[in-house]
Amino acid sequence: MRVKRAISGWLVLLVVLHATVIFAGFFSPYDPAEQDRKNPYLPPMRVHFVDARGRFHARPFVYSLRLHEGTFDQYEEDTSRPLPLKFLVRGASYHLLGLLPARLHLFGVQDERIYLLGSDSYGRDQLSRFLYGGQVSLLAGLLGAGVTLLVGLCVGAVAGYFGGWRDDLLMRLAELFLALPWLYLLFALRAFLPLAVSPLQAFYLIIAVLGAVGWARPARLVRGVVLSAKERDFVRAARGFGATDAYLLRRHILPEASSVLLTQAAILVPQFVLAEMTLSFLGLGVPEPVPSWGSLLSSLQQYSVLASYWWMYLPALIMLPFFLGYLGLGGELQQRREPYKIGKEPGGLR
Amino acid sequence: MKTTSANRLSRRVFSSLLFALVALFTQPISALPRQKNSKEELLVLPGETGRSGGRLVVSLRAEPKTLNPLIALDVSSREVIGVMQADLVHINRATQLTEPALAKSWKISPDGLQYTLVLRRGLKFSDGSPLDADDVLFTFRVYLDEKVHAPQRDLLIFDGKPISVRKVDAQTLVFQLPKPYGVAERMFDGWAILSRHLLEKPYEEGKIGQVGTLTTPAKEWAGLGPFRLKEYVAGQRLVLERNPYYWKTDTKGNRLPYLDELVFLFVPNADAQVLRFQSGETDMISRLSAENFSVLSRDQKEYTMVDAGPGLEYNFFFFNLSDPGEKTPAEIVQKQKWFREGKFRRAVSAAVDREAIVRLVYQGRGTALWGLVTPGNRRWRDEKLPHPARSLEEARSLLKEAGFSWDTASNGESTLRDSTGKPVEFSIIAQSSSSERSKMAAVIQDDLKQLGMRVQVVPLESRSLLDRVTQTKEYDACVLGAASYDADPNSDINVWLSSGGLHLWNPSQAHPATPWEAEIDRLFNEQMYARTFEQRKNLYDRAQEILREYQPMIFLASPDILAGAKKSVGNFRPAVLEPYVLWNVEQLYLKNDAVNATR
Amino acid sequence: MRYLLRRFGHAVFLLVGVSLLAFTFTTLAPGNYFDEMRLNPQIAPETIAALRTQYELDRPLPIRYAHWVSSVLHGDMGFSFAYNSPVLPLLWVRARNTLLLTITAMLLAWGIALPLGIWSAEHLGRLPDRLLSLGTAALMVIPDLALALGFLVIAVKSGRFPTGGMVSLHFESLAFPGKLGDLFLHMALPITALVLSVLPLLLRHVRAALAEVLDAPFLLAAEGHGISRRTLLYRYALPAAANPLISLFGFSIGTLLSGSLLVEVVMSWPGLGPFLLEAILARDLYVVIGGVLLSTLFLIGGNFLADLLLYWADPRIRTEASV
Repeated sequence: MRVKRAISGWLVLLVVLHATVIFAGFFSPYDPAEQDRKNPYLPPMRVHFVDARGRFHARPFVYSLRLHEGTFDQYEEDTSRPLPLKFLVRGASYHLLGLLPARLHLFGVQDERIYLLGSDSYGRDQLSRFLYGGQVSLLAGLLGAGVTLLVGLCVGAVAGYFGGWRDDLLMRLAELFLALPWLYLLFALRAFLPLAVSPLQAFYLIIAVLGAVGWARPARLVRGVVLSAKERDFVRAARGFGATDAYLLRRHILPEASSVLLTQAAILVPQFVLAEMTLSFLGLGVPEPVPSWGSLLSSLQQYSVLASYWWMYLPALIMLPFFLGYLGLGGELQQRREPYKIGKEPGGLR
Repeated sequence: MKTTSANRLSRRVFSSLLFALVALFTQPISALPRQKNSKEELLVLPGETGRSGGRLVVSLRAEPKTLNPLIALDVSSREVIGVMQADLVHINRATQLTEPALAKSWKISPDGLQYTLVLRRGLKFSDGSPLDADDVLFTFRVYLDEKVHAPQRDLLIFDGKPISVRKVDAQTLVFQLPKPYGVAERMFDGWAILSRHLLEKPYEEGKIGQVGTLTTPAKEWAGLGPFRLKEYVAGQRLVLERNPYYWKTDTKGNRLPYLDELVFLFVPNADAQVLRFQSGETDMISRLSAENFSVLSRDQKEYTMVDAGPGLEYNFFFFNLSDPGEKTPAEIVQKQKWFREGKFRRAVSAAVDREAIVRLVYQGRGTALWGLVTPGNRRWRDEKLPHPARSLEEARSLLKEAGFSWDTASNGESTLRDSTGKPVEFSIIAQSSSSERSKMAAVIQDDLKQLGMRVQVVPLESRSLLDRVTQTKEYDACVLGAASYDADPNSDINVWLSSGGLHLWNPSQAHPATPWEAEIDRLFNEQMYARTFEQRKNLYDRAQEILREYQPMIFLASPDILAGAKKSVGNFRPAVLEPYVLWNVEQLYLKNDAVNATR
Repeated sequence: MRYLLRRFGHAVFLLVGVSLLAFTFTTLAPGNYFDEMRLNPQIAPETIAALRTQYELDRPLPIRYAHWVSSVLHGDMGFSFAYNSPVLPLLWVRARNTLLLTITAMLLAWGIALPLGIWSAEHLGRLPDRLLSLGTAALMVIPDLALALGFLVIAVKSGRFPTGGMVSLHFESLAFPGKLGDLFLHMALPITALVLSVLPLLLRHVRAALAEVLDAPFLLAAEGHGISRRTLLYRYALPAAANPLISLFGFSIGTLLSGSLLVEVVMSWPGLGPFLLEAILARDLYVVIGGVLLSTLFLIGGNFLADLLLYWADPRIRTEASV
């Protein structure tokens, strides 16, 4: 029972988080590509309830920010201009779920712009970029990890289960894949593709590249587990009873690999989100000005950002719950897999 | 930087000034009491006198590849070679004018074909061996040898005929040009004079490309620059020591350079360079980005940060105007119809927000550009070139004149269409390694969106981008930058001439594709061989105006040269010409306490 | 013995395959080393063409491959365009530094991941385990580069650590213990960055593998027999969970030469990182191929070792291997 509750807990968390990303148009106040050139690197605005004179307001508000004279990126709060937060306002148009045209946004302010996570070097709203970026990156990360693991699982299972020349061939192939200078292949790939790649094409491309490059590792890990699992007593017994290879693999052997796979998945998703950064360098990533989490994180690699604009780290911080959600769910699923363990909690050595 | 605004000086005044300078520098030498060898004609440098001794540490972005000036191509190697070698006549990086170096004086014959150079007496290489006219003869023989593949060789060829060098006596040489050359004595800058006794043997054996590697023992390498090789540790550092035979002194007669050692650390990443500087492990830093400059300026502790003003780098945007080949995709040929329309290019130029680029990309530490010659180039800038403000109205009316029209979708987004109804869409390629240029592309993208153009930015790694622009020509538009290596217009010759490889919008043409390109070719060739500065300037201004009129390159912005040094470094005077901070390395010194406290 | 011979054959086959494919890839990639010269207004196209011919870039692939193979057999591994000298000595000087860094980091990472992972598995689902999960998740979202940069900032702010490089300028003047201390000080930050960048992966795998076996009946039985927890965990549980960890250990060895490239660049460690990165971007082909080949050797070695360990550690596989 405990495990079931835990699973639904993680699921609720993930559903809530993903809803904000899926309905990014509604939750984000602005178009993620819209540049506000007067306000580059604006720090996050603080939401106030109490104004500069100490009065309490029921409706939260922010102060507009003013550029320090003679500087490029130093702002201060203009306490003479409180901007009350308005909810369910009309603003930039967007397509809900990519279909329904809409203009309604969860919140906003009148006349000015509100930056709850600050702005980037073009004065684009970081919150909007984070939410929209999640659409691309999470899906690409999840699908990429899925493809990678599927290929890895198949290759690893065949190599480990059948052994012999198939094992040799597939494992050498995996080594070959691990050893190749991929960067050059990607250079070449970029040269052969048409120049303008639409965000959607780029998205598929990312998944394909990630899947193609990534399968070798999980394959080796799975193979190791399968090698061991197929010699277990119950597997030998089942084989003795005339079970087919496919049945054995599905029913007895591959479940043994699930722990490794779930762990790999939890590692691969964030890894792939980051990998998109490298692909962008080669012009294979999601093109500007479409946001992605990779591009949000890539600005962290600059010393000047690290030293001057701390809020650029916020996206990394709010990505954490997403990945923790996956990790948590993965962990719980793993425990549920072996139901006989549930009863004797806090079982064994735990 | 203090300098007379030289572009107003006539050529005559200019050269007589130079001779005055020569006289000024060369005469007091015999009067110097501390001069041990009266035969030595040393160059006396004016300016702040410093203290001898100490070690200066700077970082290099990449490892130098060679010490051999005959094959060096990369920036790091050239920077290192710059402090180990010397040339006959040198361009002062601060004044941007020539001054005597190994040659104490020179004379140009009235027909402009003969240059007579007189070498200083008593010059010695850093290994103590003497230099005479034969070394210079040897040097130019090697540079001109086709088999050596010296990258600079082509600068000595005029209309297919090489320059010839003749020795008059041990100190005097005559350079014979096939044609008068407007650049005049500036052409001698940058030709490192080689040591005959070290290099003649490898040269005869055809192995001159293999000498001067970094692993060469220090004793087997010599130059005429202020520093000589001491130690090289692969991947880590290059240590140079003071050349005791260097041919310059300060006004008090102390032999330069002041520093005992100059250390180059290899720090392969711009941010790491900044951190090294901030932690005090390096003494000077240059080639700073505006972001890093402001980080350093903000916690200014023991260092001086200098914004030397706009340099010679110009960033620009251009469309693919090359002749479509058989393999050019039909799509690009189709789009080239727009690109070839002058009004279309002018509309794009009018719509680009250059001020926003300067602010967003360079944090205000740069200058908006409307022509190739940057404000950093004091002598050659065309003051008459107009600087129109951004105007979407003008852009729209230009597009309308050219037959483009708009339609508006239900959500308020307008689309620009050409006369056949095709929506105007194209992509801009930009170097992904340059965050500056990628940013410019993103700004342009947003600017052009307001004209209803659908623009995509495609970041590409440098080589892939160059391959597309110069070889396959499969691209629509590109943001790129270049930096003139000298203030003289001839350093950008390959950009201007339609036959040039850097004539990027349509490189290496057999014949000029348009009348205006032919006119630029004519003007440029004429200025190259014109005799007076004024003539050259007029012709060059005209060429700049044509470029502006037809906008094959839409100029964007030029970044300031930003540098910094510890407060303890004396004579720190960054210039806007390369090598920005090391140009006066012989005069750099460490102030009082710093000498003893060397790490 | 026959097994060894067969593996050796595979290795040779793999090396040939990798080098062939690397050659093909590098030819397919747009641009070449001499392209940059085209941007240099001083250099005429004829000069570039002549240089290309001199370095045989115009020759067909098979001929270049053949020349390269003979150069490998002569111990040169081709010629670097940029350095104008044979590749192997250039690579070797830097590979040594990289190995010094990565081997230390690998040992340290495993040394931390094993006990920490076991401990975490032991407390599965409780607060310390969750905190550790949070920590590893945070490490996973921060790019390696940002992590390394962060450490450099700490170095600058604290003033305790050097901000990169391998030794100080006055290294030669130090006595032996001083030298060691200096080297250690310079290694501290890159190693920390490296360890932290691989730790999440190792930790999660160790934890998952251990969690799997901790409930196994044989361990419960052993606990019933009164065997101490330590012995239980390290003598019985760990070997039982070793299978995926051994494969992972193989990867650790396989990435000894390639895993630290970015950290090296940021920390200006004089290893292969800065060298190869520059070569890749500059299309210094033979340097890149040399680097690839060298790391392939490690990969093969790592996987081979992993396979040997697998057979040795897992009795079930051993029975099959003897067949």
